[in-house]
Amino acid sequence: MRDFFAGIGFVIAGIVTIITAQQFPTLPSLQYGPSLFPSLIGGGFCLGGAVLALNALWLRKKAVAQEAHGSPSLAGSLPEKTNWAMLLPPISIVFYILASDYLGAMLTIMIIMLLLMLLRKTSPYIALATSLVVSSAIYFIFSRYLLVPLPQGLLLGGSLPWIS
Amino acid sequence: MNGVGLVLNFETLLVILAASLFGIFVGAVPGLTATMAVALLVPLTFYMDTIPAIAAIVTTSAMAIFAGDIPGTYLNIPGTPASAAYVGESYALAKKGRAREALGINLVCSVFGGIFGTIVLIVVAQSLAEVALQFSAFEYFWLAVLGLSCSIFISVGSRTKAFLSLLFGILLSTVGLDMMSGAPRFTFGVPDLMAGINFIPVMIGMFALNELMSYYASKSEKKTISIVDNDSVFHNVPGHIKRYWRNMIRGSSIGTLIGALPGAGADIAAWISYGVGKGRSKESAKYGTGNIEGIMDASSANNSGISGAWVPALVFGIPGDSITAIVIGVLYMKGMNPGPTIFMDGSGLIYALFMVFILANLMMLPIGYMAIRLSKFFILTPSRVLMPIILCFCIVGAFAINNSVVDIWLMLIVGLVAYVLAVNDFPMAPAILGLVLGSVVENNFMSAMLRTGGDLTSFFARPISAGLGIAVILLWCSPLLIKAYRYQQHKSG
Repeated sequence: MRDFFAGIGFVIAGIVTIITAQQFPTLPSLQYGPSLFPSLIGGGFCLGGAVLALNALWLRKKAVAQEAHGSPSLAGSLPEKTNWAMLLPPISIVFYILASDYLGAMLTIMIIMLLLMLLRKTSPYIALATSLVVSSAIYFIFSRYLLVPLPQGLLLGGSLPWIS
Repeated sequence: MNGVGLVLNFETLLVILAASLFGIFVGAVPGLTATMAVALLVPLTFYMDTIPAIAAIVTTSAMAIFAGDIPGTYLNIPGTPASAAYVGESYALAKKGRAREALGINLVCSVFGGIFGTIVLIVVAQSLAEVALQFSAFEYFWLAVLGLSCSIFISVGSRTKAFLSLLFGILLSTVGLDMMSGAPRFTFGVPDLMAGINFIPVMIGMFALNELMSYYASKSEKKTISIVDNDSVFHNVPGHIKRYWRNMIRGSSIGTLIGALPGAGADIAAWISYGVGKGRSKESAKYGTGNIEGIMDASSANNSGISGAWVPALVFGIPGDSITAIVIGVLYMKGMNPGPTIFMDGSGLIYALFMVFILANLMMLPIGYMAIRLSKFFILTPSRVLMPIILCFCIVGAFAINNSVVDIWLMLIVGLVAYVLAVNDFPMAPAILGLVLGSVVENNFMSAMLRTGGDLTSFFARPISAGLGIAVILLWCSPLLIKAYRYQQHKSG
């Protein structure tokens, strides 16, 4: 049934895309305006999403019918359990965005690395040493050589080298 | 001579060496793909000159595709999807104590396939470029539509999902100021989006963040190796080549051809070549039991596919796979337009590029040999330590392009969408092709319509344009035509 919901999701996305595209300004001299391609894409989302959803429904119906006749089918199989640990990378990214201005990039990525390693049962000594060395290396390479102004953070108040 | 000077200098050679080691490492660690390696590399290439930047990408991808065979042989887990087709053969050989022999033949076939594909690229690209010089907006429109269509019809799995994935990529390409009217589209008042979606954060989100999320969604991994590997790497290679040289040439030819088709990468090339090899072999019953023939078919194909993908990328600016899609993005970033003029600009850039291909493939021999000897070190590198490091590289890499937090948000949003799509079996290659080719389709359509006053029949007025248009229509009708043909055969048979 995941395909059914994915299909419905695409139909909704298609409708939103078409409505948004209709608000784009048009110029009288242009026969095909800026809304043409987004509208076509929205239409494609609706069409493809509908096909996906209907196909999923049809497969489901077929599987139920097969089961009723005693044939084994996938209809009765349990859905896969969601592992919420997949959200660890996105949460870490949001943490970086929110915390790096205060903690600084180096300290923030060190904390992220350390916590993620410990959560996956890495030895604390290895986790600490690796996150310390790698976060310093990343900060050094990007700030010193690539001249990327990584946030230094209010906490350390400009005490780190390599940022002009 | 300009080309030689561009490659044979300290900076480029150092970049090739570093990229070789990086590619071998990423390919040999299960769970990290060649595309992910290239996506992670792009923020660094941003700070390099054009040739070292492309050399880094070419070398990394070639090395990673070979190195994907290492965990496949020892653990039965393909290091990259391109090794999946023949992982069973390599693992079966390894269980018989012939792990290094399997990897040795893999290595030689990879080098052969890569060089074969490069020779085809050198021979074909120049002549195709002369034809492409005659192309106008009409031809480029159809060519881009053909490329996008191929990515749907060639992709593995549901075509509806490939179609939706493609549309997602094209939608991303419409973000920013419209080329004709200057009207902002889907910018939501964010000034950073006015110039369009930045390619690099999207790549990192789609290929690196998505895979990181998949890793954390999986259960803890425990890698143990029970394979004994005391055999020689190259001792039996000459005998195998003498016996199965036809498989190498056939695999390389299939790989180059499949690689040149937009949307079909090294993985599909390997599967098709393996299937063809099995169908034509006199010993097809031995396939799946540790057969050298199967390895030679597919291992030549995946590396030649990498080179083949560069033919449409360089000549027409139409990427052959996800990796060349990234390269096209990098070329645009550096102010270069891939297309036929790249062959005529006299800067020697194209010859430098060919040299890089040859050099990268030749370097695979010594570095690959070293990697085979150190296989266990690569395989046992704990992902639980590596993945957090990769995540931090993703964050800093996305930020580094414009020094903007908006790019980190962009990476996050695209990564989340890509993850949801990937777990529901939507292929990612059409999305990235859509992002690259979406603006090509739209811009060429709009400029053609401006030129002809909105006359749609003009797309069929020029011979090449009409030919390409008919090819697209036939491709879209092909499922119906095949069904009709089968029905007819069924009826008469």
